[in-house]
Amino acid sequence: MNRRRWLLHIILRALAHRRGRTILLLAVLAMASSLATALGIVSSSMEKRVAEEVRKYGANLIVLPALARLDVGSGGLNFGVVSEPAYLLQRQVESALEQSGLKAERSFHLTGALHYKDADLMVEGVNFSDIRRLFPWWQLKGNWPTASGEIVVGNDLATQMKLKPGDTMELVGKAQKMRLRVSGTVSSGGEEDGLLFLALPELQQAIGLEGQISLVRLMVTAGGDSLKKSASALQLLLPAAKVSEVRQTARTSEGLLAKVKLLMLMVTAVVLISAGSSVAGTMSTTVLERSKEIGLMKAVGGTRWEVMLIFCGEAAMLGIVGGVAGYIFGVVVAQFITKTVFSASAEFIPWFVFVSLGVSLFLALLGSIGPMISVFKLDPVRSLRGE
Amino acid sequence: MLFRILKNSFLKRPKAIFLIFLSIVMGSAVATAFLGIAGEISHKMALELRSYGANILIEPSAAEGGGFLRDEDLPKIKTVFWKYNITGFTPYLFGIAEFSAGGRKERGVVSGTWFTKQLEIPGEDVSILGIKGIAPWWEVQGRWPEDADEAMIGAALAKRLHIAPGGEVTAHVRVGMQKFRIVGVVTTGGYEEEQLFAPLVTVQSLLQQQGKVSRVQVSALTVPMDDFGKKDPATMTKEEYEKWYCTAYVTSVAKNVEEVMAGSRAKPIWQIASAEGALLKKLNSVMLLLTILALGASATAVSTSLMASMAERSPEIALMKAVGADRFQISAIFIGETLIISLAGGVVGYLLGNQLAEIISRTVFNSTIASPLWLFPTAIISALVVSIAGSITPLRRALLIEPVTVLKG
Repeated sequence: MNRRRWLLHIILRALAHRRGRTILLLAVLAMASSLATALGIVSSSMEKRVAEEVRKYGANLIVLPALARLDVGSGGLNFGVVSEPAYLLQRQVESALEQSGLKAERSFHLTGALHYKDADLMVEGVNFSDIRRLFPWWQLKGNWPTASGEIVVGNDLATQMKLKPGDTMELVGKAQKMRLRVSGTVSSGGEEDGLLFLALPELQQAIGLEGQISLVRLMVTAGGDSLKKSASALQLLLPAAKVSEVRQTARTSEGLLAKVKLLMLMVTAVVLISAGSSVAGTMSTTVLERSKEIGLMKAVGGTRWEVMLIFCGEAAMLGIVGGVAGYIFGVVVAQFITKTVFSASAEFIPWFVFVSLGVSLFLALLGSIGPMISVFKLDPVRSLRGE
Repeated sequence: MLFRILKNSFLKRPKAIFLIFLSIVMGSAVATAFLGIAGEISHKMALELRSYGANILIEPSAAEGGGFLRDEDLPKIKTVFWKYNITGFTPYLFGIAEFSAGGRKERGVVSGTWFTKQLEIPGEDVSILGIKGIAPWWEVQGRWPEDADEAMIGAALAKRLHIAPGGEVTAHVRVGMQKFRIVGVVTTGGYEEEQLFAPLVTVQSLLQQQGKVSRVQVSALTVPMDDFGKKDPATMTKEEYEKWYCTAYVTSVAKNVEEVMAGSRAKPIWQIASAEGALLKKLNSVMLLLTILALGASATAVSTSLMASMAERSPEIALMKAVGADRFQISAIFIGETLIISLAGGVVGYLLGNQLAEIISRTVFNSTIASPLWLFPTAIISALVVSIAGSITPLRRALLIEPVTVLKG
């Protein structure tokens, strides 16, 4: 029997002989490494999920003509337009966005006035399918427009003009007259409450501004400082426009994400360190009680190195099996957490199997090498006597 | 006798005792830290999410926009039923003005507001209100205005007027004019960049609208909207209405402040309010699941380490049996030992866990945490229960063995 097989034989027999202890150690090692896997996977997918959630706060970049001023009437103030209107070419913006290669959701807006009865109404031309994605907070009563000639009316405007879903109204633009049907009313608590929303091409036709827009809202998927970078990259491609960061959503989301990340990191660290030291302690307890065995091995001529090899082999065997079991269990737990909370499945991160194995091996070896060194200091005779 | 046995069992095996002690300390530290944080984390997260800005807007109820609110009603906002949920509010008075600086003229909006205002209401705590609190994303180059004739200007307007902090701007309105010293330039990426912000009182006298306010932004802590919250209050029965009113939905807080502001209507700013609820719910449930996971893990770790140490001591038990100890005496020795270690471990772990909770709360949220009173007994009792639970199975098994088989080896 060669040396290596002999070593393997000893290790396997030692593990099989004390079945209860082996199972216990395997269980705690698997628990610690599954904790590492689950927390790691949850933390890393948490960032993505929270980033997705904060997108519900809306656009983080806006593009408007360099000469234009942001509407001072925002948020339900009715000052009318203080400045001369300015426009951007829709085609130009689209090609710039394509060139820049930004991963962004976009929504084009055009504001203009249409005449209704004896008043001018502020009308915004939008693409309703973009609105539904970029403005998930719109509280819509009635239905989204499906056919052309259908509009959505701001809640305040609707009350003022006594309009309700299903009504028809006649609006007069610079270029043409339209009969429109109200399909729904929207309340958002913002400027939208006083506006009337029409499909973008229809408004462009009605006020004779084909292909022109007055504002683009972008939701750029980016992390860290790259939002600022994408803003300046886009700015270079659009000299006629001004690209600015919506600090209210952009900066606040960045801050929030950083906090969530930090919190998860600390929680993971606390749990891992404490569970890890506890597991290493359990491992040590079992090795400490075996000083008699170590003494016997030394007495029959085993060198320190050989004894160490046997014990480390045992620990490594336990560590590997525990690590693999822990990885599988950890993935299940992480899957469960992300499923229940974010109703999305967790990412499958294969390299976490190495994290899991690493944690389990590290704890097993740490737990057995530490006490063994102290046992070695003892005289074999004394440890054989059980002192 | 029992005492002497226990004393010796601690002194003769310091390493083994230390390992168990360590594992109990760690377990109860994690439990304490998590339970301490879990209670506060949803509150802290909610406060964190308030940095997205105001979620309720109070406007004059007159639909044409001609009306005003009265600024003497403002302190009442801090006296309403949900006053502790209101983290801040800011009044605004707007007017269109002609700005001139260094020969340049621009039309724009002058806003009177509070920057940081200490509001003292009899019978209530002093509260700091104003823009600085509810809009932390404002990037101010220079400083915030303090005196009555100081003002802050939006970046876009400043660019067109070619003005920097330190300059002067004169605002002309139909009924008068006022010179402002510019102390700060504000960048927000929003419509604020086209405005000049000055103290409320100054703008009120400039526009000759003393005591008037055009709108108020309120930042309030709210609970996520559920199906019940979405119901129209007008169609509710009396009991339902009461339940709705006493739940901090954004709509019911809005209703609450609307009642104290004469001639007003308050509406939720859904962009902020709706995303907040969903996000908060998810963050809370993640923390809840993680807490359960951490508690479960530390309980398992502690009881297994006791199991391991107890299982190795069957020769000892056998010897005791052989010299005539009965089951109760043996149990008393081992349970007593466990109780002492876990009591000590529980106390140390509690202290450590409190520090951990403090560190986490300080690094993540920049605030301290008050650990609840029930936490101390809970930490100790759970340490005791978990360690006894861990040692009882191996002890029972050890008590069943025949002394002879074990003593023979």
